[in-house]
Amino acid sequence: MSQPIIEVRDLSFGYSQKKVLSGLSVSFAAGEWAVIAGRNGVGKSTLLRVLAGVLLPDSGTVIRSAETPPQKIGFISDRLSLFEEWAVGRAIDFHCRVFAAGGFDDRLLRRLGVGGRARIRDLSAGERAILHLSLVLSQKPSLLLVDEVLHMLDPYIRELFVEALIEAMAPSPRESGTTQGAAVITVNHTFGEIERLPDRVLVMEDGTFAIDETPEALRGRMKKVVGRQSLPDSLPCRFKRTEGDYKEHYIYPFREEMREGHALEFQDIALSEIIKAFIGGGYEQKRMA
Amino acid sequence: MKLTIDAKSPLPVYQQVIQAIKLEILSGGLRDNDPLPSIRDLAKLLRINPNTVAKAYYALEAEGFCEGRSGSGSRVKVPPGRQDGLRQAMLEGEFKGFLEKAATLGFSLDDVTHLMERTRK
Repeated sequence: MSQPIIEVRDLSFGYSQKKVLSGLSVSFAAGEWAVIAGRNGVGKSTLLRVLAGVLLPDSGTVIRSAETPPQKIGFISDRLSLFEEWAVGRAIDFHCRVFAAGGFDDRLLRRLGVGGRARIRDLSAGERAILHLSLVLSQKPSLLLVDEVLHMLDPYIRELFVEALIEAMAPSPRESGTTQGAAVITVNHTFGEIERLPDRVLVMEDGTFAIDETPEALRGRMKKVVGRQSLPDSLPCRFKRTEGDYKEHYIYPFREEMREGHALEFQDIALSEIIKAFIGGGYEQKRMA
Repeated sequence: MKLTIDAKSPLPVYQQVIQAIKLEILSGGLRDNDPLPSIRDLAKLLRINPNTVAKAYYALEAEGFCEGRSGSGSRVKVPPGRQDGLRQAMLEGEFKGFLEKAATLGFSLDDVTHLMERTRK
């Protein structure tokens, strides 16, 4: 986790009239797992597509490291588009030829009972996702970009999927001939499954990053206060939820000295809840603007 | 090895891994020279980031609880003479948390002592 594997500078992108990204700069390190979250339409998928090279930016630059030529970038789009009329085996042959990939690992497909003769159009969303992932992994990617697909999968397939991502990050030197694991960038709304996985959490808001921190730092800096009392104005409340008399206040950025001078209980919260609060806060700001 | 990760715990995941492995060593589940699982295997087992496992292993190595590079050949080392101190520290950590909880509920140290005596009987 050190050298940038991919970097964008001053990136702008819009779909016809609508500007989605404007002057965005960010870089990702080799071997890290980064998660990008944010409310719908904020530009997460657009950023991922630009990183994948599927969309060209209106302005700005995308810089890939020498170890990350386009064929070493694996992109799994939320559309999971494949040639519908093809059989699975044909798609595998085609993909391996185009990307000059060495061996195709069919372990995951076999675990789901998907054979080479199955038609792609007959596959379930989960089977499709696993096929897509298996294809992309055959490229031995140094960067894996995964758009929000996890929520479409049933819990078993989701687990297979996550496990395969973990393996890609820590390849077995015996099987792959390399110790360099892939960096993983995922776009997520749901966090339950990947709560413990990211090295870094980014939350997008209005085309830029409101948050870019390690999960530990983020959890240290956001606390929840629940109760009927109002909060002193001195506490930075990022997002508030009211249920009857009770209010939930999400405090960000929290500092240890804020514990002093009152009897409030600052609760530690899980990453998934933190992200939800940020996304909720994003909607609130949008409403007020 | 009994290892579980609590996503809600305020303790960072890599520290939970460190604690769990230390506990295994102290309880005799892992003995001197036993191989530690590879980074890849442990990451898959716990569904955590391999970087997190690597971080935990480096820290354990720095503290003298294992040796061998980058997980593939890490072996447990039981640091001589440090077990008692460590066991003590772990118990104290648990106890401190318990006392804090008791204080929040309005119990005094005396109340806790009474309760301990009553429980022992």
